[in-house]
Amino acid sequence: MAENSATRKIRHRGRFEQIGIYLVKFMRLFVYQNDWKVLPMAIVIAGLVSLVVRRDFFVTMEGTLKGALALSCIAIWNGFFNSIQVICREREIIKREHRSGLHISSYIVSHMIYQALLCLVQTVLTIYTCKMMGIKFPKEGLFSNWMMVDVGVTVFLISYSADMISLWISTLVHNTTTAMSIMPFILIAQLVFSGGIFQLPAWSNSISKLMISHYGVRCIAAQADYNNRPMVTAWNTLVKMENNDLEVAFTLDELMVMLNDDENDNVVKLLSTNDIGKKIKDTLKDYNVDKKVIVNAIIQVIKSDPQYEAMKDQKITIFKVKVKDVINAIGRDRVRDYLQYTTAQATQNPNYAFTEDNIARMWLAFLMVIALFATLSVVCLEFIDKDKR
Amino acid sequence: MYFSSTIETWFDLLLYLFTGYTGLYSIFGILEIIGLFLMFKKSGVKSFWAFIPFARAYQLAKCADREEEGRILTVSTFLLFLINFLGDYIESPIMALIVYFAVLALVTIVLIYEIRIYAGLVEVYKTTKLWIVAWLALGGPVAIYWGLSKKLVPSMKVEDLKKDAIDMASGRHIINKMDNGLAVGIQERTVMEFFHKKYLLRDINFYIKPGRMVLLLGGSGAGKTTLLNAIIGYEKAKADVILNGTNVYEKYRKMIYEVGFVPQQNLIRGKDTIEHTLLDTAKLRLPSNVNAKERRDRVNEVMEIFGLTPSKTHFVDKLSGGQKRRLSIAMELLSNPSLFILDEPDSGLDGVMARELMTQLRSVADQGKIVIVITHTPDRVIDLFDDVIVLAKDSHRTGRLAFFGEIDEARSFFGKDSMEKIVQSINSTSVGGEGRADEFVLKYATEQNKEVANG
Repeated sequence: MAENSATRKIRHRGRFEQIGIYLVKFMRLFVYQNDWKVLPMAIVIAGLVSLVVRRDFFVTMEGTLKGALALSCIAIWNGFFNSIQVICREREIIKREHRSGLHISSYIVSHMIYQALLCLVQTVLTIYTCKMMGIKFPKEGLFSNWMMVDVGVTVFLISYSADMISLWISTLVHNTTTAMSIMPFILIAQLVFSGGIFQLPAWSNSISKLMISHYGVRCIAAQADYNNRPMVTAWNTLVKMENNDLEVAFTLDELMVMLNDDENDNVVKLLSTNDIGKKIKDTLKDYNVDKKVIVNAIIQVIKSDPQYEAMKDQKITIFKVKVKDVINAIGRDRVRDYLQYTTAQATQNPNYAFTEDNIARMWLAFLMVIALFATLSVVCLEFIDKDKR
Repeated sequence: MYFSSTIETWFDLLLYLFTGYTGLYSIFGILEIIGLFLMFKKSGVKSFWAFIPFARAYQLAKCADREEEGRILTVSTFLLFLINFLGDYIESPIMALIVYFAVLALVTIVLIYEIRIYAGLVEVYKTTKLWIVAWLALGGPVAIYWGLSKKLVPSMKVEDLKKDAIDMASGRHIINKMDNGLAVGIQERTVMEFFHKKYLLRDINFYIKPGRMVLLLGGSGAGKTTLLNAIIGYEKAKADVILNGTNVYEKYRKMIYEVGFVPQQNLIRGKDTIEHTLLDTAKLRLPSNVNAKERRDRVNEVMEIFGLTPSKTHFVDKLSGGQKRRLSIAMELLSNPSLFILDEPDSGLDGVMARELMTQLRSVADQGKIVIVITHTPDRVIDLFDDVIVLAKDSHRTGRLAFFGEIDEARSFFGKDSMEKIVQSINSTSVGGEGRADEFVLKYATEQNKEVANG
């Protein structure tokens, strides 16, 4: 060993062998460096979020969309926290090891494998926790016989994409403080621009398309067959209002003002409507108003009555009925089904189509994100020797 | 229109470009230019820079010994100018919002960096910090006062690098005849900083025989670590570095296994045990044909040398400072390199531990290796060293070779009886030294030239 290596052909460990060395090292550090804490954290987060979304996830349109966003956020959170600090916290060590023969590509690939395993375990724990918390996954998925597996693949891909993005950030920043300062901004951006729950202005559409949360929500919502779920907001609102009175009433004075507005189509319609027109005629019957009399003449007659001043603030109820009565009169089920169907029809979104092609495209998008950011991580970390001392 | 630019006419543009202000405020700008013209003369900066927009801020920062801040200030003021100039063309409310944030950030940066530069000026001119407030509030008139005042004189000067009168001995001339040991011939190590070339090291030539333990001496900022990085090819210089007949730069990937570099900090993962750390390092650094048993034997051998065997299953986090240093050295020694470089291996160690460590390094050198050590407390272990490299920061703030040779020769060359006094003699007066770096660089170069001339 004392001989000069340059004078004879000596081979040192290549890229593939180095991947193995670092993978074993990361596994060891997983146990000793408390990196294992991300696993119980994944269970706690999944449990908390499930508490909120479990009732309507995979049941209604609104619940599915909320659930899709929540599940995407869990995956993104897990992914980000897995790797945001892993490189920057040992940047100086990597620099030393790079000087001693470490290949950066081997280092990143071993991180990729290690992080993939971590994301996989977190995904299993997340899906299992969601199931335990009462989220009712539909039985069959599009790609497998179990919807949980299909959704699990998506959650894994979201989580792993987030993991690779934060791995890249970790190669860019030089210490953990900076990494943790950047983290909330990225998480908030992912949440706000996900496009699921929040109505986004037109200018932000292109930003939204850069967010993994956007594709996450889209993919999970599609897998949950969003477009064929009922929309319950309108029906729920109606039920909340069922003890309210449905009342049409005016004061005489208001009526006069309305009638005076002869350019208003509604006034014309009102007087020509049989029921309401009859009520008006009843009201005015003491005044011997002929139905052929023009509106302006009626107003003049009424206003000239000596009692007008006393009566003008008095309310005249055209009709009064409870919302519940209307619903019951039409038929409760009919009203509910009609509302849920028509509002759901109006809210269907082709992005959430329950098709293999749609979901496969989203999965491909995640794979591209993973490949892109892993490559960027290698490229950025290759410049580690250029760090300022 | 969401922005109202203060630049409305071509005259405004010229005035803004020239003075940094528009309207009546430009009077302050003109006063500042005159003041800087006078101040640059005092600091040894070419006065015409006072008339160059944006660049004058950078030159002022150089006068304040705050070059880094100067770069950021110059870029920020230029960006502010661009926004001011292009502001009228912003028609989207979103863009306007983004630009407002950018302006806010830039104004904050400009203010902070101006304060830093004025603080630097106050330090260089050795005057009261109240001047910082005056600079911020008035600018131009203060610059004029500083330029004219005979009381306010900078304690350091910024000079443009000129070719030295002394033609140094050629490094190639020395290294061509060396097949063993380490021959270093560095012509220059430069970096580009803000469109100009900055010299970190110049004309450093020496040859170290195998089996020598060498002390690298120099004041803070003299370029010791830069020199070591240049020697091992980590930060390449315009140089030839030959280790045992092989050019380190040309065969860098191979030669990294021949060089052991122990950095200042203990860069080891805290939650790994000593044994695992060394085994992983052995896998990386030893040739791939070394089998698992041989690898483990080598790890055990190195642990034994550095007294790490009893605590081999302990986590690095739990080790004492001395143990961590020894582990850090052991990691580099695993591959049995022929050149062993240590950057302050004794920092944080008490006298006894430092001596013990240096003795171990001496025994490494005795095995025919070259050991180069940077230490700030050399005198307690000077008897263990064979040679000394003295690096000094000259008046151009470039790292230069002030001496290379045996310890006793160094004492007589500098006329000092200890290494710490040698460092003191070459350190600048601003850090409490004697400021004789140029004198010794010149003296050593003259001696080298004579030696080369005599063959």
